[in-house]
Amino acid sequence: MPDYDAIVVGAGNAGSAAAISMASKGLSVLLVDRSDPPGAKNLSGGVLWGNDLAQILPKWQSEAPLERFIDNKKIGFLTEKSSIVIDFKTEIFRENKVGYTVLRSKLDPWMAKKAKEAGATVIPGITVESLVIKDRTVVGVQESGDVITSNVVILAEGINPRLSIEAGLRGPLQDWEVSVGVKEIIKLSPQKIEDRFNLTPNSGMASEYIVGNMGDLNIGAFLYTNKDSISLGIVSPMEELRKNGVTHTYDIIETFKEHPSIAPLIEGGTVAEYGAHLIPEGGLDMVPQVYGNGYMIVGDAAGFAFSNGLVLQGMNYAILSGIVAGETAVEAKTRNDFTSKSLSAYEEKLQNTYVLKDLKTFKDIRKVTGNKNMYTVYPKMLEGILLEMLWERGQPKKKVRDILGSCATDLKMSRLKTMTDFYYIYRRM
Amino acid sequence: MDIKERLGKVKYDVDKEYAHITVDENICEKCPHHFCVMACPAQCYTLQDGKLVFQYEDCVECGTCSIACDQGSVTWHYPKAGKGVIYKYG
Repeated sequence: MPDYDAIVVGAGNAGSAAAISMASKGLSVLLVDRSDPPGAKNLSGGVLWGNDLAQILPKWQSEAPLERFIDNKKIGFLTEKSSIVIDFKTEIFRENKVGYTVLRSKLDPWMAKKAKEAGATVIPGITVESLVIKDRTVVGVQESGDVITSNVVILAEGINPRLSIEAGLRGPLQDWEVSVGVKEIIKLSPQKIEDRFNLTPNSGMASEYIVGNMGDLNIGAFLYTNKDSISLGIVSPMEELRKNGVTHTYDIIETFKEHPSIAPLIEGGTVAEYGAHLIPEGGLDMVPQVYGNGYMIVGDAAGFAFSNGLVLQGMNYAILSGIVAGETAVEAKTRNDFTSKSLSAYEEKLQNTYVLKDLKTFKDIRKVTGNKNMYTVYPKMLEGILLEMLWERGQPKKKVRDILGSCATDLKMSRLKTMTDFYYIYRRM
Repeated sequence: MDIKERLGKVKYDVDKEYAHITVDENICEKCPHHFCVMACPAQCYTLQDGKLVFQYEDCVECGTCSIACDQGSVTWHYPKAGKGVIYKYG
């Protein structure tokens, strides 16, 4: 008899969601995390979208440590001197509570606590050193020479999945699969945040930017409002960083903070924390085999995240994949069959959720996010168009068609190239 | 803000006995790019007089260097139980 029905490695959103969904259905579950408190090594940009948690924690919106609900979403383009921002503020978000800013060092221990309340054994501060594999089946984990066994191991290791790599369940990560996320928490009083961003005491703003003033680098950035702090960060694709070869990842965030439209937003704030984390951005192509004899892989470790340069989501994909893996384990227990064949239900179920549907729909999205023009040309083109239309200089005015043409020419883009580029972006986005 | 000052804002429980990342100096000596120096967000990799110097104490455990190094020099393990970075906000 194994020690547990299931061992979950990693108490992030995915791991805790899996543990809750299994323990609440009566499985014996061990949830381990290498940090104490659990989740203290986890870092996200900081917006949890969607309502997937309701499946396992119906009262999460009133009980979870959430910062602010998002009723204002901004999508922006930056050039050296300008910012062009779509500012979407809506009562529909306010009424439906579609997303919340969160701080993982608060949210993750809360989810681990909920796993414990559901009946799971939660042990933080344990570093699993390796998976125990017998007859090509994962049968448990090993820590300091101790072996703990289970019917199934759920790997929720995150985007730096050492155990899966060492056990050969997936290959080492490649440049194209990841971006480097660098983040700061900047303390500001709630009053300042609400005044500066036009918010009420519980409402929040989430903004994402295409940063067009970083030379040849494709840089994305984000700025979110918490209760009494700002989450601010940049996202640098590893491939681009390597091609560039002369820019420190830690300097890019400074350039973003110093932008004339960003600096006033954080003025007077003090940096309370600095951090960095990899972000899965390889889409469907980076997803490994997510199940096998005695194991399933969930969350970031499976590459479940979505990015199109303007939207960056991961926690919702993590939670839903954790829940689905948990449900699969519960069904496998009734069959008393934890072989690859039995656990293949995990992937089949995921095919019917947005997790794998989105990755499939947007399988070509890297051609958009990797399109240099999105960063180095189009923000400047937008700036040029707006200057031409809005800046009265005592010159005869031009039609939009002619403005677009002259801006494209200024940026050494032919009209045809611009139009085909727009068409491809439109097709894939 | 200087990276050193920013790293001063990060809380760690440093494991003085065990380096969770090791680099092979012989490989680093012959490395044509030292991309790790640019990629590491915690300035664990620096060049001093053309020689790569590595320290793990400021590591935030992101795993960037394990991908950035394509020369096979970096060996990356999780730190021992509870050791390493402890985010207060995350």
